[in-house]
Amino acid sequence: MLSRRASLFLIAPAVVLLGLLFLYPLSYSLIWAFSDEDLGGWGLQNFIKAWGLYSWDVLFTLIIVTLSTLIIGAMSVAIGGYLTLGENRVALTVLRTLYRWPLFIPFVVSAQLMRTFLAKNGMMNNIITSTGLMDPLAAASFLDWRGIVITFVWKQTPFVALLVAGAMAALDRSTIEAARNLGAGRLRILLGIVVPQVGTTLMVGLILSYVVMMSVLSVPLMINAQTPTMITVDMAWRINAYSDYGVANALGFITYAMTAVIAWIYLRQGVREGGRPQ
Amino acid sequence: MALKITNLLASAAIVLAGTGAAQAQNVLNVVSGGSENMVDYVTDYLGPLFEEQNPGWTVKIVGTGAGDAGSQTIMEKLVAQSGNDAWDTDVVVVTQLKAGEMVTDGLLQAYVGDIATGKLATRDTAKVALGTNVEGYVMPMFHSQTAIAYNPDVVANPPKSFDELKAWTAEHPGAFGYNGIKNGMSGVAFTTGWMYAYAGNTDQLMNGPYDPELKAGWDKALTELKAFNENVTFTPGNAGTLDMMNRGEIVMGPVWVDMFYTWQADGRLNPNLKLLLPEPGMPGQPYYYAIPAKAANAEAARKFIELATSPDVQAEGIVKRFNWYPGIDAQHVESTLDKATWDKLFTDVTPADLAAKGKPFPLGPFFDDIREAYEVKVSN
Amino acid sequence: MNILRTSIIAVLLALLAFAIFGPITNLLIWSVAETWYFPAKLPQSYGFAFWERVFRPQGNAMESLGNSVLIAVFTVIASLAVAIPAGLALGRGRLPWRSAFLLLFLLPQAFPSLAVHMNIARIFYSLGLNGTYTGVVLVHTIQGLVFSVWIATAAFSAVDRELEEAAANMGASPFTVFRTITLPLALPGLMASAIFVFLISLDEFTGTFFVGVPDVTTMPLLLFTASMEGNYQIASITALILLVPSVGFMLFIERFLKADVLAKVGS
Repeated sequence: MLSRRASLFLIAPAVVLLGLLFLYPLSYSLIWAFSDEDLGGWGLQNFIKAWGLYSWDVLFTLIIVTLSTLIIGAMSVAIGGYLTLGENRVALTVLRTLYRWPLFIPFVVSAQLMRTFLAKNGMMNNIITSTGLMDPLAAASFLDWRGIVITFVWKQTPFVALLVAGAMAALDRSTIEAARNLGAGRLRILLGIVVPQVGTTLMVGLILSYVVMMSVLSVPLMINAQTPTMITVDMAWRINAYSDYGVANALGFITYAMTAVIAWIYLRQGVREGGRPQ
Repeated sequence: MALKITNLLASAAIVLAGTGAAQAQNVLNVVSGGSENMVDYVTDYLGPLFEEQNPGWTVKIVGTGAGDAGSQTIMEKLVAQSGNDAWDTDVVVVTQLKAGEMVTDGLLQAYVGDIATGKLATRDTAKVALGTNVEGYVMPMFHSQTAIAYNPDVVANPPKSFDELKAWTAEHPGAFGYNGIKNGMSGVAFTTGWMYAYAGNTDQLMNGPYDPELKAGWDKALTELKAFNENVTFTPGNAGTLDMMNRGEIVMGPVWVDMFYTWQADGRLNPNLKLLLPEPGMPGQPYYYAIPAKAANAEAARKFIELATSPDVQAEGIVKRFNWYPGIDAQHVESTLDKATWDKLFTDVTPADLAAKGKPFPLGPFFDDIREAYEVKVSN
Repeated sequence: MNILRTSIIAVLLALLAFAIFGPITNLLIWSVAETWYFPAKLPQSYGFAFWERVFRPQGNAMESLGNSVLIAVFTVIASLAVAIPAGLALGRGRLPWRSAFLLLFLLPQAFPSLAVHMNIARIFYSLGLNGTYTGVVLVHTIQGLVFSVWIATAAFSAVDRELEEAAANMGASPFTVFRTITLPLALPGLMASAIFVFLISLDEFTGTFFVGVPDVTTMPLLLFTASMEGNYQIASITALILLVPSVGFMLFIERFLKADVLAKVGS
């Protein structure tokens, strides 16, 4: 265990880098968010305006990102679990080579791909109708909140799955084998033994995904044609249309608060359960 | 292994240091908002031409993207270096709204009086940008216009006015698509056209004076727009509208004329698709060449813009190769071009149409009012 | 029973393959499509005209790609250099305000950077870092710091303490314990974070524009505009080109990891 002084010494370079090159510039943004142009002083005017115009979008963002995070969590546990506990060699090889690819496609390109894939006359519907599984007239467009969720899940699942699968591979196999000898099913082993042991990694992966999805602009911009939309679109709109940095930064602050609350709950949870928050 | 990596990194570091030092002395840095083909225009045509005429100079161009968003990025980069003595950007290409803001904030320098081609652009838009006086600070690169694109195979008799369009969408729900206002300028342009048609006081909206009370009279126009929206398909962005036309999901929608032609040229749109300007008209705007206030190479920047706005270059580059409407006054360009090329530019939208129905965007504060009113009363 | 199970697995894998490769196939087709519009379900004509456009000498595609890769590699080194000690302190140390520090490191990703980059550029201009590779590497490092610090923290706190104590009891110095026990055990996590940081750097657009342009240009500067305005052919080709270093870097890391970790565990 490192001493307090050694710990502070070790974390110092990262904090200095962050402080000088990010927190300092960020402080300008916070000043903008909390200043009140009409009164010429400090105030919450920007937050009131942001909330008045965009409260639906804040809620919409929260729902979309939370839903995506949950699906990503389930999918990555399933993928990691099969890679750890699966027995069919062919299936393992196929899955291992398959699941990572979206990781390498930048967000802006993922959005472009999904826009042409999920549209009403897009490639997905074309393939399904040409196999005769669906009537062409029943084809629907997914370019709304569902499209955003699908794109997020597609792009971020490999990220969490890669972390989770790595952590699972590093586990001590003896408990798993013992449980298996006692006749426990694979699903029970996965949920009862494996997942609790990689809980930290899973949560870290999910929180990082959540953070990334919160701040992506290109996906809602290129996929969602409907209102409400996500907060980042509103931020871009305030700046580009009105040069209104006050409301934009207030929205940025709200976004960060939404992330920080989730991360804080997770970190507290770890402390309460007696262990270190990891 | 570790040693190999170290060697690799060391040589990489040397390369890094080397490239920094080996920068040519005379580089003209151009940063362009707008679409990718505006970047291609400088990369493939204007840049090489300038380098040929000015030995020792290299033109470097970076694009920042379409609409006010792309130009906003350029403005922020200038603001960020406003404390420095010599700025790293020599020529910028920006939208009207942002050009006005940049002039107001003192980020640009007046140069039009110093170049030979300065007198060739006399349209209103060369002097006033959305109500802000920009005379002397900008030269139009080209004029861009919005119009309604449609598929003549499906729509034999396209609506000729906003009234007819309203009736048409009621009969064909979902066949007309546009991108609202938050997601690209073609939707904003359509909304503006709607307001010109139904909000009244069109001249005042375009030319001023600004009256904050005027927006009180817009309720009817906005309510009707909300009803109209019930029958349209919303598209994700300027490109989103073209994209949905590419897949036949909509058959009509507002687009930027230059973008429309690019999509056709790149094989992403049916070459049979056509354009029309509905009564009473839709807005368009020029992209401006401007020089940042403390540009390091202002002298070369002036030469560059002088070349770019010369009749020959406007004819050969802007009209003939890239299908844009010229930035300088048409008569200077028309005389240097053959008739076939000139006519091709005006196949769908005639010069008479353009003169009568090509409108400017509204005065800045009215523009803000329209957009906020849409946010509050139409999209909520 | 066994046949049933095998076929269920086969169907699930097929669905997954469709979900993953469906959109990617779209990318591949667009990269060679010269004409493709309604009502055709596949391109009416194919060709490499757009490849020629991307790779034309004036376009500087290769130089941009080289810059992108070089910057990404240095970003990985810089972020690991600060994240490993920080992760050690956060995962193993007695750090006051630990949660607050972790929340702080979330900031560069969690606060949408739209409104922050101008201020970052202002600081960089005043430090003379604008237009330099160092500046771009630093701004990418900041963006990647969230991943490298959080993942390093998780990796270090997952290391079994008893192994370290055992080594320490046998008289190993703290640094030897770190080098021979802690670091190798945390290595897979650290390498995963290296991959993510590499990818973030490779795809970064806004920071590069504000800090690098006009002297340093990277591949995403081309990609971003093309993709946003629906220039599908150019965007698809650029994305395919970027796949090469991404996949290459991951394979390199995995080989390096296998050889190294196995060697250490064996000895």
